[in-house]
Amino acid sequence: MKRLLLGSAAAAVTAAALLLGGAFSSGGSAAPQTAPQLDRLGNRFALRARETGDASYYARAEAAYHRALRLAPDDLAATIGLGSVALSRHEFRRGLVLGRRAVALSPSTAAGYGVVGDALVELGRYEDGFATFDRMVSLKPSVSSYARISYARELLGDVPGAARAMRLAVDSAVGEPEALAWSLTQLGKLYWSNGRLGEAAREYRAALEIRPRYPAALNALAIVEAARGRRPRAIALARTAAEVLPLPQYVAALGDLLHGKAARRQYALVGAIARLERAQGVNVDLEIALFDVDHRIDLQRTVELARLAQHERPSIDGDDVLAWALARTGGCREALKYSRLALRLGTRDAPKFFHRGVIERCLGNHREARAWFARAHRTNPYWRQP
Amino acid sequence: MRRLAFVLLAAAASAALIAALASRGGSPSAAQASSHREAPLISEDPSADNTDTYAFRSPDRPDTVTIIANYIPGEDPAAGPNWYSFSPSARYVIYADTNGDGKPDVTWRFRFANQAPVAFLQNTQQKYTVTRLDGSSSRVVGSGLLTPPDNIGPRSTPNYHALALAGVHDLNDGSKVFAGQRDDGFFGDIGSIFDLVAIREGTGANGGGKDFFAGYAVHSIALQVPLSQLDNGSNHVVGIWAASDRLVTKVTLAKWRGRKVLKSDPDWRQVSRLGNPLINEVLIPTELKDKWNASTPDKDRQFEQYYSSPILAKLLNQLYPQFGPFQETNRSDLVSVLLTGLKQPNLNFTGDTAADELRLNLGIAPTAPVGHGNRLGVLGGDLAGWPNGRRLEDDVIDIAERAVGGALIGHSLPLGDGVDANDVPYMATFPYEADPFSGFDNTKGQQKP
Repeated sequence: MKRLLLGSAAAAVTAAALLLGGAFSSGGSAAPQTAPQLDRLGNRFALRARETGDASYYARAEAAYHRALRLAPDDLAATIGLGSVALSRHEFRRGLVLGRRAVALSPSTAAGYGVVGDALVELGRYEDGFATFDRMVSLKPSVSSYARISYARELLGDVPGAARAMRLAVDSAVGEPEALAWSLTQLGKLYWSNGRLGEAAREYRAALEIRPRYPAALNALAIVEAARGRRPRAIALARTAAEVLPLPQYVAALGDLLHGKAARRQYALVGAIARLERAQGVNVDLEIALFDVDHRIDLQRTVELARLAQHERPSIDGDDVLAWALARTGGCREALKYSRLALRLGTRDAPKFFHRGVIERCLGNHREARAWFARAHRTNPYWRQP
Repeated sequence: MRRLAFVLLAAAASAALIAALASRGGSPSAAQASSHREAPLISEDPSADNTDTYAFRSPDRPDTVTIIANYIPGEDPAAGPNWYSFSPSARYVIYADTNGDGKPDVTWRFRFANQAPVAFLQNTQQKYTVTRLDGSSSRVVGSGLLTPPDNIGPRSTPNYHALALAGVHDLNDGSKVFAGQRDDGFFGDIGSIFDLVAIREGTGANGGGKDFFAGYAVHSIALQVPLSQLDNGSNHVVGIWAASDRLVTKVTLAKWRGRKVLKSDPDWRQVSRLGNPLINEVLIPTELKDKWNASTPDKDRQFEQYYSSPILAKLLNQLYPQFGPFQETNRSDLVSVLLTGLKQPNLNFTGDTAADELRLNLGIAPTAPVGHGNRLGVLGGDLAGWPNGRRLEDDVIDIAERAVGGALIGHSLPLGDGVDANDVPYMATFPYEADPFSGFDNTKGQQKP
């Protein structure tokens, strides 16, 4: 905490408190009173949500930002904060509106373009989204903009280019442990996507040097250990990840490593957590649709959930999950349409190739099916459909 | 509640079915492929963040000018295993403007490289290269230079003082250089300033503040340059500022829709700069901070209104009406101190170009050994201190509060934060800033007497 305060103090905070924009009351009182103070409070809640997985912090963050905006209607940090929370809730259309408002308030501030670009990408508007990321990095190269450039390149199938950008992100996150652990983990995932287990594990371990119980790295390392056939080690890692941060995907990954009753217990938890997240206003339709279709849970209902999710989020992931759900329920003709959409950027993602193979096989196109399965295998020989 | 339990059971039942069907087990879900990625949005980027810049004639070698550029705020000596280092992909830069046009005439660029194993696995010594530009011609004036390691403790880094001094190198242009971890020479009661400029006792002129920088370290780049290389021979004023750059790398450098982008020279973008202290923090509004940090001093006219109508003056009026009124607008006194140099009295005026630089009049000799000048600099009658360049001991928070309070326009008040000096003494010789506290025996947040 002290670190957080002083980390920003010398450079950015000395008088963020002084920059009150006219909105302050008399000094010396304990509760935050000024827009900048409320912005910082909101940012702290948003960080808590990210670190604990407790989505109730989003509402508290939003309350702080709204109070800031009542004091200062054009407050930039509160607008960006609200946009960021909207993205975390997977409300991408709302995030886009707030991001655009932030850019209008300050066309020279990079973070606003991050909100806009993230929203556009999740809404499947890639050309605009990538142009927005280019603008963002031109205004301010940083871990935030490099990470987005990396993601765009990954989506475009340029994994080496994505890794180069993520390496820059890692370099520029030194001194910010959370961002550093995050970008190291993302770099590892890029290696994993190509089946480069050793390099992936190296980056995950580097992230765990920074934060020994960093759940994203524990979860990702569990997947690598499982691929290496070290199941007990994988289970231990996945269990710690799910305990530290019980996100549906971490709990699901643990379940996939277990058998029988133990696995079922984790899968049941996934549903329970998803309901908790929904109750806090987080849209998890796409994540749950993928989980359900992967695990053949209530497939007819899942197709409808996937349709809804794809409508809310027409990204290549939305397209892929709907294609996959349709394929598993026999709607292979329509599935092919969405699989083509899912692969329209040239993304090299083994699960998407595998799903396409299943669809082609279902349509009787056995030669194509074999080619797609081979492609999935070449891309990441260690990936397995759970 | 019962409904929830029912749904849970139903989910568990279907899960039982698939568990039986699962091909091999042991292959975790692909569920994360579609989760929104939550990349960090706002980055402080501490490793490229300028904290302070200093420029003064060296008291122990008055024929030289010392320039110190500090980066990475608030380094906690006990931060292991997350040690601090210069960013290998950033470019650190020190600029000197000898003719007052706001553009650099001499530039020193610093690039650092980690040595295996990487920095956060405890090898904190970095190799670096110094490139000097005079006008547009560039040459490498030092390469393969080593920083000292971070001060980890008496077992990891014994005899730290000697290790640190081994980090002073000669460049082949006649200058000396040091780069590495140092005690943060800055001092101030940030806690009280943070709390709406709450001055702990009276007006803050009698001590009683708490130095929130005590015990923390920074990463420092220090140069000691022959005075003759920076003296223009006429008004003898040199303008100094420091910055850092990062590479722009774009999505479209990848192949996209058959579009090919030709390889070009690396595209650097400035992400931080610092001439006068406290400008970005106190004067520049939030929505312009990225722009200010990316801008060059020769274009600073665009920010003049924030110097001439400082928010701090407005704040002082509201907080301390008993000492007011404080002039809130048309502060040409502040514009001249910070952007053009002082003409009346003629101290370091460089012409009409508004440029945020530390303006150092090389014709003014050092008045005291390092650390012993009058902490109030020019306001205290000591012409060798800020805003004539800036020395380590200059109490810039008190000077700034008093200047904004109107010290130069007949409204003198003994304002201050009650912290008048650094927590540890500076060294008498280059690189002057003290050794950093070690992780082993660090101590922070001391109460001042």
